[in-house]
Amino acid sequence: MNEQPNIRVLLVDDEENLVEYLSKRLLKLGFTVKATFSGEEAIAAAREQHYDVAVVDLKMPGIDGVETQKKLRQIQPYIQCIVLTGHGSIESALESGQEDAFQYLLKPVDYDNLLANMKEAYRKKVELQRQDFSKQVESIQRAGLGAHGMRKAIKELREIYGIE
Amino acid sequence: MESNNALSAELKKVTQELASHKIELYQTRSYLQCILQNATDLIFATDTEDAVVSLSKGGEKVLGYSWEQIVGWPIKDFVEEPASFEHLMKTCQEEGSAVGLDVPFRHKDGKTVFCNISLLTLSNREGQRVGSVGICQDITDWKKLQENLIRVDRLAEIGRLAAGVAHEINNPLAVINEVSGWVGEVIGDATGLSPKDRQEIEVAVTKIGGQTKRCRTITHKLLDFARDSAPTRSEFDIVDLLKETINFLNPEVKYTSIKIDLDSAERHLLVNSDKRLLEQVFVNFITNAIHAVLERGEDTGHIHITTVKNNSDVEIRFQDDGVGIPTEVQSKIFDLFYTTKPPGKGTGLGLAISKNIVKKLGGHIILESQVGVGTTFTVRIPIA
Repeated sequence: MNEQPNIRVLLVDDEENLVEYLSKRLLKLGFTVKATFSGEEAIAAAREQHYDVAVVDLKMPGIDGVETQKKLRQIQPYIQCIVLTGHGSIESALESGQEDAFQYLLKPVDYDNLLANMKEAYRKKVELQRQDFSKQVESIQRAGLGAHGMRKAIKELREIYGIE
Repeated sequence: MESNNALSAELKKVTQELASHKIELYQTRSYLQCILQNATDLIFATDTEDAVVSLSKGGEKVLGYSWEQIVGWPIKDFVEEPASFEHLMKTCQEEGSAVGLDVPFRHKDGKTVFCNISLLTLSNREGQRVGSVGICQDITDWKKLQENLIRVDRLAEIGRLAAGVAHEINNPLAVINEVSGWVGEVIGDATGLSPKDRQEIEVAVTKIGGQTKRCRTITHKLLDFARDSAPTRSEFDIVDLLKETINFLNPEVKYTSIKIDLDSAERHLLVNSDKRLLEQVFVNFITNAIHAVLERGEDTGHIHITTVKNNSDVEIRFQDDGVGIPTEVQSKIFDLFYTTKPPGKGTGLGLAISKNIVKKLGGHIILESQVGVGTTFTVRIPIA
């Protein structure tokens, strides 16, 4: 449990019981978990705080999983989405979800498999983020800003990337 | 003398008339003969006792007997439901004609031939009944086609319905899965439980998990079945795929003396098909073969897999020396939800899915089986 990186997870599913128990299990493992029960709620949560991985149900009333995913990525470009679907097949989910999710998993999902995917998604997020972040830091440094300007620019970057 | 002449002229006229009638009669007879020889329908004529006096060539084909074999026999002897047929004949006698639909005739080799039949009373000039004529159209193939269509339609409907149910069930199943997982974790941390109680609860939670997995397998298979996406084709070695599949299933036969061997004329056999779908088919046939051998209850068993390249097709044969499939069951084994395995062992989906897949890949499955000897499933698919 100690080797567990502090992964910030946003859970989105209208099946409240599922979210409740999945949250408990993830919290117990040391994840930071935000439970939401609709696409709208999840989008609002993403505006408030940064997350590494979102676990999104495909079929929800209101804003569905595909749309939620799209919005989440607009707000936080590096967030990785794992889409859960109880529906049809992974292929049909892929067809409907043009937005490239990190992974599609069929419900009921195997818990260990979900964990493995979340960790994988987290690694991918961190990796992408570091690449872009260091590139942009370099360009800020090359821009020859003063100490104050640089601090400000980097603070902005940190906000975009959700790095505390 | 004059009257003699008149008589002679009259005689000549009558003779001429007779000759022309004879020609007419001859023409009518050959016309009828032509009809009887060429009609594909079963056309028969009977005498007043309902015994056959004439039969069309088509009738010989429909019933499987030659004309000579049938003439003199009551027509009802060739019908499967003589009572209702006699009733039809009686209606015809009383009303001059009768129509029967779906009348089952019996072919020489025992099979049933369904005909739509139109009966007419044959009368002489005095209006007396001298027999009947029946024109019967063989609708067996048509009926079979119709039944198949209905079955296909029903199967598609079941598939859709089942997929809907599977989808709805997946959500509560996911909840059960998480809740039982959570209980397992709580037990792990709990203090103050007696070891016996702890074990009891742990076993119960494991069982809930196991049964959830079982449901999950069923719903996922069903959704696979109902999915109708086009196969994704790529080139791969079918011999390799068979080897991989056998390896994958090896744990199933590890502690038995069942031998699975692969016999391929070619070391490599490249096909352009859907690897994932074919793997599913192979797993299914080999698993079924293993079960068939185990069911026989003897110590040893043999599953023989062969591949044969055949012009533009590949044939993969799965031959086992298991219990075999009774003839009366053979037509049902590809039906959705049909299973002979005990509860929990079979879902009744495997063969239905396999058939669907092979069809999608442009191939077909051939079944040969004999109780007590074994079963051979042959999958034939196009190479490209």
